Amino acid sequence: MVWLWAPPLYDFEMERLGRFIQRLSYWLFWIGGAALVGMLALTVGDIVGIKVLSQPIPGGIEVVAFLGAVVTAFAIAHTHVVRGHIQVEFVVMRLPKRLQAVLAALTSLLSLIFFGLLAWRSYDFGRVLQATGEVSMTQKIPFHPFVYGIAFCSVVISLLLLTEFLRALVEVVKR
Amino acid sequence: MSEVFVGLIGIAVLILIFLMGMPVGFAMGLVGVAGFCYLRGLDAGLSILARDVWTQFSSYSLTVIPMFVFMGSIAFASGMSRRLYDAGYTMLGRLRGGLAMATIAACAGFAAICGSTNATAAAMGRVTLPEMKRYGYDDSLATGCVAAAGSLGILIPPSTIFIVYGILTEQSIGRLFVAGVFPGIVLSLLFMMVVAFLVWRNPSIAPAGAPTTWRQKLMGLTGILEMLVLFALCIGGLFLGWFSPTQAGAAGAAGALIIALIRRSISWGGFIEAVKDGLRITCMVMVIVTGAMIFGHFMAVAKIPMELAAWVSGLELPRAAVMGIIVLIYLIGGCFMDALALITLTIPIFYPAVIALGFDPIWFGVIIVLVTEMGVITPPVGVNVYVIKGIATDVPLETIFKGIFPFLAALIANVGILLAFPQIATFLPSLTRY
Repeated sequence: MVWLWAPPLYDFEMERLGRFIQRLSYWLFWIGGAALVGMLALTVGDIVGIKVLSQPIPGGIEVVAFLGAVVTAFAIAHTHVVRGHIQVEFVVMRLPKRLQAVLAALTSLLSLIFFGLLAWRSYDFGRVLQATGEVSMTQKIPFHPFVYGIAFCSVVISLLLLTEFLRALVEVVKR
Repeated sequence: MSEVFVGLIGIAVLILIFLMGMPVGFAMGLVGVAGFCYLRGLDAGLSILARDVWTQFSSYSLTVIPMFVFMGSIAFASGMSRRLYDAGYTMLGRLRGGLAMATIAACAGFAAICGSTNATAAAMGRVTLPEMKRYGYDDSLATGCVAAAGSLGILIPPSTIFIVYGILTEQSIGRLFVAGVFPGIVLSLLFMMVVAFLVWRNPSIAPAGAPTTWRQKLMGLTGILEMLVLFALCIGGLFLGWFSPTQAGAAGAAGALIIALIRRSISWGGFIEAVKDGLRITCMVMVIVTGAMIFGHFMAVAKIPMELAAWVSGLELPRAAVMGIIVLIYLIGGCFMDALALITLTIPIFYPAVIALGFDPIWFGVIIVLVTEMGVITPPVGVNVYVIKGIATDVPLETIFKGIFPFLAALIANVGILLAFPQIATFLPSLTRY
């Protein structure tokens, strides 16, 4: 039955949504890029502080760790857009095009389930951390905004995977 | 259904969805959560998902990955690969096969500032392949030697594979890094001997290059000098206990950037490209490591590693034979699967068995890196070969794979040498402070 409603769902509006999500992924990617440069600057600052001034940057290590979370979470969606996540392709490449489209739909759906669950559970986890007031040891930085960040990025990649799933279904029907 | 049986089904399902083309990090995460939910209940399984992802993403010990990856990206964007090759060329180019030897030496040098095989192969391939073509080198030798020598990227520190192995097995990354130094030098020499042998057998495959002046030779040395400075700064700092692994990576990345700025060899656009490249690779590695952690938790509740360790320890086989079987499994697996995916999937399973047999964990790390190097150049999924194919588009894949085989023999010989003389890998780590 799913074949019947796929083409009407994957219309012009869906294509536009897909493009918007890709753009959004790219903006998020640059937040990750800023965090990467920030991590480098902060770690170098910490080295200089320790070796030259005998005084590390207060809370430097925990901020670097938080920036690490931003780097990965915010880069996930765009890395997927540019096919940067490792996939085993040599079997799929040898299959007929229609079967390739079926597998693309199936793997997009499985990935969508994974990130859908991650978005939901990270949001819940963030709420627990917010309610219990969990903060870092030195700088008392709250954890929950970063966990909400992971939830948000998971929503973005889920939407991306949804458009990919529908596009793959249309491909199956066409072929 | 017993827990072990559920674990085995989980492994089978995982391999199946790998082969269907699902990104490996996502697949390991999904199967890990599903398996955990089945064995420990829905709520427990879903809880570990959010907690594991947060713990891994925000782990300070994992911040070593972006720092070393960024260092390699900056080194590549600022043309250090070109200058290293120029240095090798001025020294060895005059000999028959000298360009291929210079390529291997330059790959070993670039490996000392970059921790990935495909980045090393891509960086050096773009520089060296046009030169070898210009001098009439045989396509098979030229492409095979860059693809194989590119694999030195993960043996000579820094190395993403050592980092991931260290994280998965809780071994010191500093000790693993220095363990790769001597085996890396031995392998570089073995690769050069392969070139010398091939040229001795058929001199027409690698004609001598043009002579160079002493002035050119001296100028070429500056390319080696900057690599040595960076290596001494980050790996030396780690070796002497000055830096933690993350600090060593940051010092290397900042050092590479400062050298590039002083030499004016990096533009704003080049820096942006380095950030994008570093970010993409970091994200890819982190997603796989996180997926592997979730899958590892499922394996742990399914008791697979413990059962395997108990079974292997009870086998009536000599230790070396068991190690031989493990190496063979990695070799075969490496032919079909990406190296990082294979390691993150199998290390949590095999590691307890290897330790139960009394092998040194650092030495085993070096063996794993060597078999990974074989995996990246063997058909059908030899990543380095595809990287080289992307640069030398007119050379058929079969020609590149044909060129690989003599170098594969050198890699196998290196594993044999390490089995006979483990001290080559374990000597330096025994001196480290970190």
